[in-house]
Amino acid sequence: MSEEIVVAVSGINAVDNPGPGLGVIRSLKEDSSLKIKAIGLAYDAMEPGIYLDWLVDKSFIMPYPSSSEEDYLARLFYIKDVTGLQVVIPTLDAELPLFIKGEQELKSKGIETFLPTWEQFELRSKQRLIEMAPRLGLSVPPTEQVSSYSDLLKALDRIGFPAMVKGLFYKAYRVHTFAEAEGAFYKIVEEWGYPVLVQKVIQGEELNVVGVGDGEGGSLGMMAIKKLWITSLGKIWTGVTIKHEVLLESSQKFLRETGWRGAFELECIATDDRIYLIEINPRFPAWLYFATGAGINLPARLVKKVLGQPVETHSEYEAGRLYIRYTYDLVTDMDVFQKIVTRGET
Amino acid sequence: MEKLKRLAINEEGFIFDPVSGNSFTTNRVGLWILQKLKEGKTPEEIISELPGYFEVDAETAERDVTDFLEQLRHYKLI
Amino acid sequence: MKEPYEKPLIKKVQVGLSNKFGSVYGRHLRPEIDGVPISDLVSRFGSPLFVFSERRLREKYRQIYQMFSTRYPNVHFSWSYKTNYLDAICAILHQEGETAEVVSEFEYEKARRLGVPGSEIIFNGPYKPISALKRAVQEGALINIDHFDEIYDLEDIAEELGNSIKVGIRLNMDTGISPQWTRFGFNLESGQALDAAKRIVSGGKLILSGLHCHLGTFLLEPRAYAKAIEKMVDFAYELEDNFGLKIEYLDIGGGFPSRNRLKGIYLSPEIAVPPMEDFAEAICDTLLSKLKPNDFPKLILETGRAIVDEAGFLITTVHASKRLPDGTRSYVVDAGVNILFTAFWYNFKVELEEDIPGPAEPCIIYGPLCMNIDVVAENVQLPPLPRGTRLIFSPVGAYNVTQWMQFIRYRPAVVLVGEDGQVDVIREAETLDDVINRERLPERLVLKMS
Repeated sequence: MSEEIVVAVSGINAVDNPGPGLGVIRSLKEDSSLKIKAIGLAYDAMEPGIYLDWLVDKSFIMPYPSSSEEDYLARLFYIKDVTGLQVVIPTLDAELPLFIKGEQELKSKGIETFLPTWEQFELRSKQRLIEMAPRLGLSVPPTEQVSSYSDLLKALDRIGFPAMVKGLFYKAYRVHTFAEAEGAFYKIVEEWGYPVLVQKVIQGEELNVVGVGDGEGGSLGMMAIKKLWITSLGKIWTGVTIKHEVLLESSQKFLRETGWRGAFELECIATDDRIYLIEINPRFPAWLYFATGAGINLPARLVKKVLGQPVETHSEYEAGRLYIRYTYDLVTDMDVFQKIVTRGET
Repeated sequence: MEKLKRLAINEEGFIFDPVSGNSFTTNRVGLWILQKLKEGKTPEEIISELPGYFEVDAETAERDVTDFLEQLRHYKLI
Repeated sequence: MKEPYEKPLIKKVQVGLSNKFGSVYGRHLRPEIDGVPISDLVSRFGSPLFVFSERRLREKYRQIYQMFSTRYPNVHFSWSYKTNYLDAICAILHQEGETAEVVSEFEYEKARRLGVPGSEIIFNGPYKPISALKRAVQEGALINIDHFDEIYDLEDIAEELGNSIKVGIRLNMDTGISPQWTRFGFNLESGQALDAAKRIVSGGKLILSGLHCHLGTFLLEPRAYAKAIEKMVDFAYELEDNFGLKIEYLDIGGGFPSRNRLKGIYLSPEIAVPPMEDFAEAICDTLLSKLKPNDFPKLILETGRAIVDEAGFLITTVHASKRLPDGTRSYVVDAGVNILFTAFWYNFKVELEEDIPGPAEPCIIYGPLCMNIDVVAENVQLPPLPRGTRLIFSPVGAYNVTQWMQFIRYRPAVVLVGEDGQVDVIREAETLDDVINRERLPERLVLKMS
């Protein structure tokens, strides 16, 4: 076993809309060739990861990414001083702009990341998605960007129901009526601001690909799944690995075309005759442990790549591996809670 | 002051109310005032004692203790 | 030995809201502006006080000018008067080489009075009174036409003066951003702009020599500018090919963002606002790729906010503190929304003159007006502030000292910190005389007090 590596991971909020952080940490800890000290980056004292001491070794409360860049980076530098932090894996959409723009400054202080470039990150935007999808052999559902309630109504007139009302970073609501659309619109605006996207709902099979791009057009591994059962929030509860050749080929093309660096998730819907690209998520999905369990430990590969260690890059897995999410009850005393609310760290 | 007596207060300023299940945090001066209240001191006594322990003038002490008591009332702790 | 004091506070730990930062971080200090202590400024000029930094203003202009001029050979900046038409601010930018971009007869007169020749004024806007238009024509100003009626007005003036007038037309177009500003100028996609050009050519009295557009305000999408340039160049060549005229300038207007935090945008401005280079690159690269070889029409920029916003600060003083019934801490300061108009759009940076101990909590800052709308800042993380604490709001250099209004109180002084640290008043604080000078009290209403 090699030297201890200190890795900070955000999104340790394993709640009804879980963040990817705990899956990332669990994957890192299961790689026998890595010795990981896992730092949890939390935004609230009640994020469950703070209390799961067999996964998260130490947690820190972070300023919100919407606060100033200076404050956020100062907090990371403090964590570096306290823990010897070497690598950060941000897993929440709202954090990514900050980490991508701050990459050089973090690097200069000895904190490594492995993230898409700003240009790659912007590919998620609706307009770029529309431009890129055909080059990958994929389609895009009709989508409109709206910045006012009256624009929303006009967009819904054109797109029809059911429709998806989505925030730029987070949240997507499936709506069937103008009233539902209005509710979803204001919920998104209140929390995440403008603009809001309105997208036609495509009926079909929900297929997803998780992977890591090597930054040079190649892959550090990828895996495709079909969601079998989703919760009322649209989150996967059970799923199955699949070998969908067209989808995997499109994913390879995606990496080749963009030179993508870092984690990604492609959300797609397959109908009889085509595959629609719904979203490119420039980070790990919350279910990424599925890939680890199926033999492709993407977080461990990412960390090894960052540290310049030899990395496996194969994408060999069996179709038909099953994923079952479950809940778990933890009972503890108030010590950790007290520490995190009074000191901001455990 | 019965409500105050039931509170579990640690030295870092973490407060837990075992009846309501609510938690609070306070700072050093807040902690000091809470201890005095628990000892049964009146607001007037606390205001007059505060400048003896901390670098603060009498007028600010009066204003701030009054505001702090207002906060405690807001949280239904007194 | 007494212990250091901080105001006593107690906070309920709320699940989902228990984030203790920015209480530790998020406390920003500004003890001075360009080397001049805040306390000096207030003791000399009072509070509230607008403070402009000459150094920041000049530096910003030079930076932005350089970004464009190193990418395109024929660049010209015109100072957007409506953003800030204080003489001193305009004079600095004219010294730097900007001409004047005005949108009313008042701004036109102000620029002329300051010494700007008519030939160095761009006259824009939807309302140009005939007399102002005539003066502008006689003095050689560059006029960008907003609507058909203005074409007729200008033709009448040309006839009256007996010579032809060089003009530009303002365009509006779809560049993929929303809202699309369709109320100004002639629409490109509908063919209205082409109709306007045809009309101008057939009239024979005006010479169409420029295209103008202005896409919106605080735009965060450099690609929208690239799209606009693309469409303008295509349209310019269409006109040149069909009507045998020469488009000498492309005026892309302004609308560029400053590092201000727009309400409703989640990310901090350092992240959300693209650097000005991105806009310069989008505009200039598109120009160079679309233009024919050796054709370099003048590129005009009317950027206001991006140049002046970050050069302006407002110093305020805490007059009172109050805890609201819901437990929120609030403060009353001496500057209200009547002098800080952009408080309706932005969440300003709020800085402290000096560090104040104690944990920060989210606060509301109210102005002095006896009006419920007078909220200067919401949800600002501040430690418990004693009376008399100075808060510095920024950036406030754009639009405030033009859109402010006298209401209930006198408007405060505006000072300029020079590059050598010298401080000059560039607008005096108002007095009762300023307010009553224009009033007339009919004799029969004069109060007879015994």
